[in-house]
Amino acid sequence: MTPLSDRLLEALAASAVREGLVDAVFTRVATPFGRLLVVQGAGGVVRVGFEDDPEDALLAEVAAALGPRVVASDAETAAVRDALSAYLEGDDERLEVPVDLGLVRAPFRREVLETLHRDVVRGQVVTYGALAARSGHPKAARAVGTACARNPVPIIVPCHRVVPGSGGVGSYGGGPALKRALLEFEGAMAPRLAPG
Amino acid sequence: MTAIALPPFWTLVERHGDELLAHARRLAGDQLAEDVVQEALLRALRAYPRLRHADHLRAWLYRITTTTAMDAHRARRREVLVDETPAPPSEPEHYDGAFDTLIAPLSDGARDALRLRFVEDLDYAAIATRLDCSPAAARQRVSTAVRTLRERHHA
Repeated sequence: MTPLSDRLLEALAASAVREGLVDAVFTRVATPFGRLLVVQGAGGVVRVGFEDDPEDALLAEVAAALGPRVVASDAETAAVRDALSAYLEGDDERLEVPVDLGLVRAPFRREVLETLHRDVVRGQVVTYGALAARSGHPKAARAVGTACARNPVPIIVPCHRVVPGSGGVGSYGGGPALKRALLEFEGAMAPRLAPG
Repeated sequence: MTAIALPPFWTLVERHGDELLAHARRLAGDQLAEDVVQEALLRALRAYPRLRHADHLRAWLYRITTTTAMDAHRARRREVLVDETPAPPSEPEHYDGAFDTLIAPLSDGARDALRLRFVEDLDYAAIATRLDCSPAAARQRVSTAVRTLRERHHA
């Protein structure tokens, strides 16, 4: 059987957006760091998934929170696609896209991610403990770790810039190798000459 | 937001889009099939948040596609009727051919009911007069015939 053409799917999504029938729009963006799934709600990007994340589960999570009218469109997400591509391909040093942390239910976790998004810029890293202190909860390093681990919008809210005080890059939703690659790309960490 | 867990709409589109297109081709012919599917999916999206349960979503999409194809057929026929100049012969002929092929496997009674409804574009009162039954029975015959078609194309 013939799959639906991209032209038909884009036209369908465009009509749906025009009629206000859409709870969220998603797109798949090829980047040097793998293919990303990006979901945009009315207030900005609500979810970013890595190549290995199960797509159906991720979209179901968005549908449960925002509503089931989830459609795909490259055209309706063009601004975010361009900004992500430009940043991750090194054409632009700033990544400025609207973000909506609506998928983060706990106020504490939301506060941590807002602080991280606002304060920790490209080229910097911060420890879990330091981010806890900056968020006004100096004893909550472990809870900050959880907030980062559950960050729904990785890369845009830069949880890859949060590292353990004990050294190393620590864990990452996309895997420690990706975290290290992002930090090297941003100049926060010297490239390693040999694996180890 | 809905209380029940409906899957993301696009998951349905990606899972069933190809078979809905094949269904629309059988109903409406190659030329109209894409327009029919696009319109059907837009109608489905309009109704989606009001669904009360997440069962039989594939059958629901087939039903909407069938209705949309029938509507397209009637709209096309109306255009031909109001047009002073003769309509270009190829498209309506192609289209009617698709419809006749589609309903060919049904019983005589079911084919008559569908033709009266979708080709002659009669309302159920008029169909009832022609078939010598009540309007409710006429509606029943049409909907049974449509359902039979749908089930055949599911199989």
